[in-house]
Amino acid sequence: MPAANDRQLQELLAHPSVWRGRSRAAVETLPTGFAALDAGLPGGGWPRHGLVEILTPRPGVGELYLLLPALAALSRATPARWCTWVSPPHQPFAPALEAHGAALDRMLMVNTHLPLWAHEQALRSGACGIALAWLPRASPRAIRRLQLAAEQGRALGVLYRSERFAHLASPAMLRVLLEPLNQDGRHGARLRLLKSRGGSREPIDITWTAAAA
Amino acid sequence: MQHPRSYRLKFPEPVPSEADSGFPGSSATPSVLRVRPASPPPKGPGEQPALALESRELWIAAHVPQLSLLALRAAAPAGSSARSSLIVVDPEHQQRVIDADAAARAAGVRLGMTLGAALAAAPGIEARPRDVVRERELMQRLVGIAATFTPQVSIESPDGLLLEIRPSITLFGGLRELCRRLRDACRADPLFGQADAAPHFTLAPTTLAALVAARAGARCFITDAAVLPARLKPLPLTALRWPEEQNARLTAMGVRTLGELMRLPRAGFARRFGPAMLADLDRLLGRRADPRARLVRRERYRGVCDLDHEIEDHEHILQALAPLLAELETFLRARQRGITALQCRFHHYRAAPTHCTLRLAAPEASAERFTGLLRERLATLTLPGPVRRCELRGGALTHRAITSKPLWSPGERGHASAGEMPALVEHLRARLGNTAVYGIERVAAHRPENAWRVAEPALGGTDTANNPGGAFRRPLWLLGAAQPLEAQRGRPRHDGPLELLAGPERIESGWWDGADVRRDYYVAGDRHGVRLWIYRDMETKRWFLHGIFG
Repeated sequence: MPAANDRQLQELLAHPSVWRGRSRAAVETLPTGFAALDAGLPGGGWPRHGLVEILTPRPGVGELYLLLPALAALSRATPARWCTWVSPPHQPFAPALEAHGAALDRMLMVNTHLPLWAHEQALRSGACGIALAWLPRASPRAIRRLQLAAEQGRALGVLYRSERFAHLASPAMLRVLLEPLNQDGRHGARLRLLKSRGGSREPIDITWTAAAA
Repeated sequence: MQHPRSYRLKFPEPVPSEADSGFPGSSATPSVLRVRPASPPPKGPGEQPALALESRELWIAAHVPQLSLLALRAAAPAGSSARSSLIVVDPEHQQRVIDADAAARAAGVRLGMTLGAALAAAPGIEARPRDVVRERELMQRLVGIAATFTPQVSIESPDGLLLEIRPSITLFGGLRELCRRLRDACRADPLFGQADAAPHFTLAPTTLAALVAARAGARCFITDAAVLPARLKPLPLTALRWPEEQNARLTAMGVRTLGELMRLPRAGFARRFGPAMLADLDRLLGRRADPRARLVRRERYRGVCDLDHEIEDHEHILQALAPLLAELETFLRARQRGITALQCRFHHYRAAPTHCTLRLAAPEASAERFTGLLRERLATLTLPGPVRRCELRGGALTHRAITSKPLWSPGERGHASAGEMPALVEHLRARLGNTAVYGIERVAAHRPENAWRVAEPALGGTDTANNPGGAFRRPLWLLGAAQPLEAQRGRPRHDGPLELLAGPERIESGWWDGADVRRDYYVAGDRHGVRLWIYRDMETKRWFLHGIFG
């Protein structure tokens, strides 16, 4: 009897919606494309449904390279849903995206003065596999809405913000602080998981792949 | 009436005993067609027997006798000029009288008169130019009635209509029943139900025979092509609507009826009048195929709702529109079609109407979707005043793929529903505008600013087969306009000195279109660890920032 109870308990605990303090909850994940990061993240990759917040000291330090493998994989999945870019800071360069394996016809650009609304709509619609957004400011309440929308629409929401907001509480499922790492010809980044359900506490160093150079 | 020549049918008394000589349900018009007793076989163009095979088509022709008069009457407000007698003149045709009402005819006006002659005959009459647009609208209205009986309907400009009804006979329970229903449908129409506007119907195995009989006002209900020559004989020549000079030549030869025409020798006829007219005659008697193009009706939804009181609130406007949207949905579902554009007009008391157009990425028919999109659009709309009238106009109907509801919700088990993807695009566009939401595509060009362009979001299937482009080193971000960089001793700076990491890559292109570039591109790293794509213009030797790597 105790054995049966134990098995039932394990089954119950393995349910994605159950999360225990220090354990790694079972979440549906997507490989990040970086082995070191996969090892550090709960479930071995980006959550498939949920909000990820990426904080950077300044734009252009590799925050897009971090998501590119996932973006390429989602855009080439069958059936592929939209990969939405909400108010990107510059124009995403189509030849480079294609060279990194992303399918351009799944990319949907949204230039708007209402990024929060557009991001929420994109996440909630169920039509997006991934939605990236660059928000100048977002209140914890707004982020909570985005997190719920991402879960409801079964989409991976990515929020790019400045590291100035790192000390603020955030309801996002995963928070990653990214710092550029340029040492002895190595072009990469050091990642710290500010918030994760059972992820690594140590900083994770990754190198951008040769294509990114 | 295109040909102003007037004619009178000079035929003996009607023959009421002939059961099948009239169109069923027709009013008692004098019958001018009857089968003549067996006459010696004609020697002219009509001498060959009609098609040996059984005719596969059966045509009903409808002729609106006084269409141009009817068009002017229908356009005028009721009772405004009902008293004065009216004639219609054709400005394209030397102001000749093409139609005249009964009072004018009684006063001595004949078709084909010049306007001056008509005014001299009856000074008090009112002369108006014909309204071609309105005439066409009336014919379209008649098509609307006829199209419920057969899809093969075509307009014989200006006042004739042709219906191929052979395939519909069984469906409507027999030929006579079909004809009766057609007539009843016309009678039920408020416009064509009037006594003087009722179209004249005829039935014949060939289009031209049916038309000719209808124009001549003859009773004609013929299903057998073999009897056509005999039955068409008494009809006047003018009903063929051949050019006036040819008619005059034939009349001079003593040919006034189709029977006399058919007696002419075939070879001589072709030599004198040309093969085209002989071909017409062959079509008339079913010796030559006479296909007609099916008329495709241009159907649009239009709904208007007048409000009891003026409203300003967006939610209330949406509520007022709800019945129209429901009607639109029924309209579209009945046709299994969708629309990709929907225009709303809000009429105000003083200001000009406000227009707002919804554009949809994929054909849509659901009122719920339209309501959602309108809600977003209304939020961005500023109305100059309260709304007192709403109007809804649907765009062209397009084919709508009807899909069953998916078992899984989108994203679940890798499932993506086709409906959600265009819906998101429309939803965002309704609020943010059409240009704010777009896709991108690659262009095979060397200049980076020309190597991509904005594209419509792809709604079709993914083309996963496309191979990734060349292994060139390209940044993920491209600046809209290259940003000039300061330089110190020939070294570019951007928030501190830049370190050139790779390059140069020469891009030299565009001499043919005026945007000539000669640039050396480098990958540079700044002191914060950001990788930049910079170039040196070979003409000015100045440095520019053009892209950011990540």
